[in-house]
Amino acid sequence: MALVVHMLILVGVVLLHVAYATYFERKVIGHMQVRMGPTRVGPLGLLQPIADGIKLFFKEDVIPGCADRTLFYAAPIICLVAAMANLAVLPFASGLVLAKINIGLLFVFAMSSLASYGVVLAGWASNSKFSFLGGLRSMSQVISYEIALGLSLVGVMMMAGSLDLSEIVAAQQQSRFGIYAIPQFLGFFVFVVAMLAETNRAPFDLPEAESELVAGYFTEYSGIRFSLFFMAEYIGMLVMASIATICFLGGWSGPFAVPHVPFFWFAAKIYGIMFFYFWLRATLPRYRYDQLMSLGWKVLIPLALLNIVVTGFVKTIF
Amino acid sequence: MLIQPRPKRSLLETVLLFEILQGMALTLKRLFSKPVTRQYPDEKRQPFLGFRGKHALVRDPQTGESSCVACLRCATVCPSQCIYIRYHEEEGSGRRVVDRYDIEALRCIYCGYCAEVCPVNAIVLTESYEYSAYDRQTNYFDRGRLLNNWDAFVKESGHDPVAYVNPFWRPRGVDEATLAGPRRRKVPEEWTRAGQPVGRLCRSQDSEVLAEGVQR
Repeated sequence: MALVVHMLILVGVVLLHVAYATYFERKVIGHMQVRMGPTRVGPLGLLQPIADGIKLFFKEDVIPGCADRTLFYAAPIICLVAAMANLAVLPFASGLVLAKINIGLLFVFAMSSLASYGVVLAGWASNSKFSFLGGLRSMSQVISYEIALGLSLVGVMMMAGSLDLSEIVAAQQQSRFGIYAIPQFLGFFVFVVAMLAETNRAPFDLPEAESELVAGYFTEYSGIRFSLFFMAEYIGMLVMASIATICFLGGWSGPFAVPHVPFFWFAAKIYGIMFFYFWLRATLPRYRYDQLMSLGWKVLIPLALLNIVVTGFVKTIF
Repeated sequence: MLIQPRPKRSLLETVLLFEILQGMALTLKRLFSKPVTRQYPDEKRQPFLGFRGKHALVRDPQTGESSCVACLRCATVCPSQCIYIRYHEEEGSGRRVVDRYDIEALRCIYCGYCAEVCPVNAIVLTESYEYSAYDRQTNYFDRGRLLNNWDAFVKESGHDPVAYVNPFWRPRGVDEATLAGPRRRKVPEEWTRAGQPVGRLCRSQDSEVLAEGVQR
């Protein structure tokens, strides 16, 4: 019973964060483009996400005539479920984790790969050229970047000697620098780039490139199904930001302890990374497809492998 | 603007993503700058002098009617052919009497030629620009509506109707002395012929300005 309550609280908090991440994004990008962002609904536009939610909920749900209905219904659910399942294993503070499993990191990888099935199926089931191209792009992008993402974290696993996310944080607190981002700077760089590609964010948002593919794989989705994809994308961002925080930035530990709010530093770091996402989106144009591929295969994977080799040497010698 | 070739990136700059960092510094700087947004329905923009907006027929203060003489110059010059005029000739005097004067504002391209050629300053484009509507009928202006547009514009804008009537639009490059009588009214300096050079005069001035810019 207590578990169900914890789950509900977690889902509620995360969904609220997703809603306000969209507000945060629109404000940040707006001001970076010397605009204002939402200002109309409520003070400073603070009620905008709620208005958007209500609007999306009551919108007409259009399904294309020749769509594969079963897959069309299933795709957004696969995406959202896969993204949300990750939340269970994330430690937000010491002991504040829904399911402490000893292969947490692997679980997160598995789930984030599963989410791309939703994307591919959505592209296939919509029976639309834009969706199909978006799905194909997503497929090949995920294949190339999943490898780099996994390899970039191998260094962290070697240093921490564990796949359990809580233990990785604990090992980091005892390490010399307190965070792995300094000794594993190469891994951190590869992880950040691969993270952007994995979550389909600018400058690697090719599967949903709005200037070429309308909206990519969810072109044909509307109303509540569209918002499921949207939520899945933002939860995916949140999860990747959490993984970056846990594996490289020291998780919930900070320069000083904040009383009564054990997850303060964790939240602060996540907001920082979310801001970084939006900052990049406001700055960089989209990569060309062959650039994306050659960056993944020719730069990131060799770098990640190099990082593993160097980490292994250093660990053996010292 | 002169196009300058960028210096080639050094290896160090490539490795450290120097140009991406530069771009990010720029966006971060802009984050703290003041937005240039004009919150439109709350902050309305003051149109410039000579703005070409909603059409109006000037109401003659003496007769209370339009001063249009049905010369059809506006309907002839109109590139989108959106002015429709019907008239009959008064028996005896042969004076033309306007029966109908309609402007289909949705087809208008706001070139201002009608106001430019009008010999009696009867048709003007006012500074009012808020007249979007949900149907086409609303923006099909007949004579009564056009006169009402003028009344509403004078009331709202507070312009002196007599001073505004000679619109600043006169055929460019035409000597003022050759204009029809009612058009020869005093206009602000920059709207005179000397202030609005065309042709060779204009080009020579432009090239002087360009030359100054290059020297700077």
